[in-house]
Amino acid sequence: MQESKVARPQVDVRLTVNGREHELRIEPRQTLAELLRGPLALTGTKVSCDSQVCGSCTVLVDGLTVSSCTYLAADADGRDVRTVEGLANPETGELTVLQQSFIDYAAFQCGFCTPGFLITASSLLEETPRPTREQVIEGLEGNICRCTGYQQIVDAVMAAAERSAS
Amino acid sequence: MIHPFELHRPGSLGEASTMLRDLPDAALLCGGTELLQVMKMGLARFEHLIDLKRIDELRGIERLDDGALRIGATTTHRELERSPLMAESYPGFVEMEREVANVRVRNMGSIGGNLCFAEPHSDPATFLLAANATLELATADARRELTVDEFVLEALTTALEPDELLAAIRLPAVRPGEQVVYRKLAFVERPAASVCCRVRLEDGVVREARVAVGSIGDVPVLVESAANELLDRSVGELEAAGERAAEIINAECEASDDINGSAEYKRHLAGTLLRRALRQVAEEAGHAGK
Repeated sequence: MQESKVARPQVDVRLTVNGREHELRIEPRQTLAELLRGPLALTGTKVSCDSQVCGSCTVLVDGLTVSSCTYLAADADGRDVRTVEGLANPETGELTVLQQSFIDYAAFQCGFCTPGFLITASSLLEETPRPTREQVIEGLEGNICRCTGYQQIVDAVMAAAERSAS
Repeated sequence: MIHPFELHRPGSLGEASTMLRDLPDAALLCGGTELLQVMKMGLARFEHLIDLKRIDELRGIERLDDGALRIGATTTHRELERSPLMAESYPGFVEMEREVANVRVRNMGSIGGNLCFAEPHSDPATFLLAANATLELATADARRELTVDEFVLEALTTALEPDELLAAIRLPAVRPGEQVVYRKLAFVERPAASVCCRVRLEDGVVREARVAVGSIGDVPVLVESAANELLDRSVGELEAAGERAAEIINAECEASDDINGSAEYKRHLAGTLLRRALRQVAEEAGHAGK
């Protein structure tokens, strides 16, 4: 049987993911979420609404939270990407104060939204180490959780801020 | 997956315009929050995407000699919401930008992209229309300027020529006694109704007024008859004038039924938002002793 191969446009991308450099040739149409979850086997980042609304796909690109479902992997060229897998200590596996707080405060149930919340909250705490509860709520506005009712998540973030300060 | 396309990265506005002219089925890419979304959903298909993010002349916020502000089209909502220049001249603009969609959209989305996509529910379009902004359009060898209502023609349709880019947005200098106040109500990411008024007060009396209503119909509109209700009114009379202006909005503004509610409800929302905006104008004027 004959196979016809259609030549598809390609683009070279060099990006750092959780501190590790990757050089790849990909199709420009590939989203960052697809790249992370596919070839890079980093499935911590989830795709849920696929419309930039739910926040499950949130990753950091050069320190800014983005919806990786609607971000071209090609646009990460030359950039530093951080996913949930990059939070814990790469050598020891020790969880961050925030991750531990999520456990201690029961801030997840099914866990699907959790990577997105962790990335968003990490970014929030980096910018505002001692946020008020209102600031935490506002900062997490773009992340949706269907399980917890949010209070535990806010408690966990507030506790993490407190623990990090002491 | 998105349908395959070729990605181009021009280094200048001229190069981008030439690409737009010469490449078949091409679209401009900046933050991608609208374009990539519709491509993912299969609602649009392009063979070529022209990335504007590496073009220096499309970036940045500067104050011009006459006090006007010039905003490069690829400036992100985040950059605008954090700009000290914007905060100084147009605090209402900063407040508006702070509430656009969600934080991730603001981190990537550009003001130019928002205006060019011309989705009916647009915070910036409503604001810029009331604020009397001008939009700079450019090709490789020509420039022209349009007002927001000249630019946004219909839902998802602008006056851009096939080889034209939106280069910058110019906001006029703020004169003494002037306020630009924005109000919106949003149930989902995009506003259900958005209202902006630009008012100039002199000795406690309104000398100039512009009122824009957006998000309830296909395009943002200037409601001159509502603005006229405010002229020559003192700060103390603004409440009553606002009620009459809201009635005009209810009677005159085109609106459509959508996910946010009926046309009638949305007109009502717009009227209420205008009254709240005017309440703020009065309060600010009171503090300023004008």
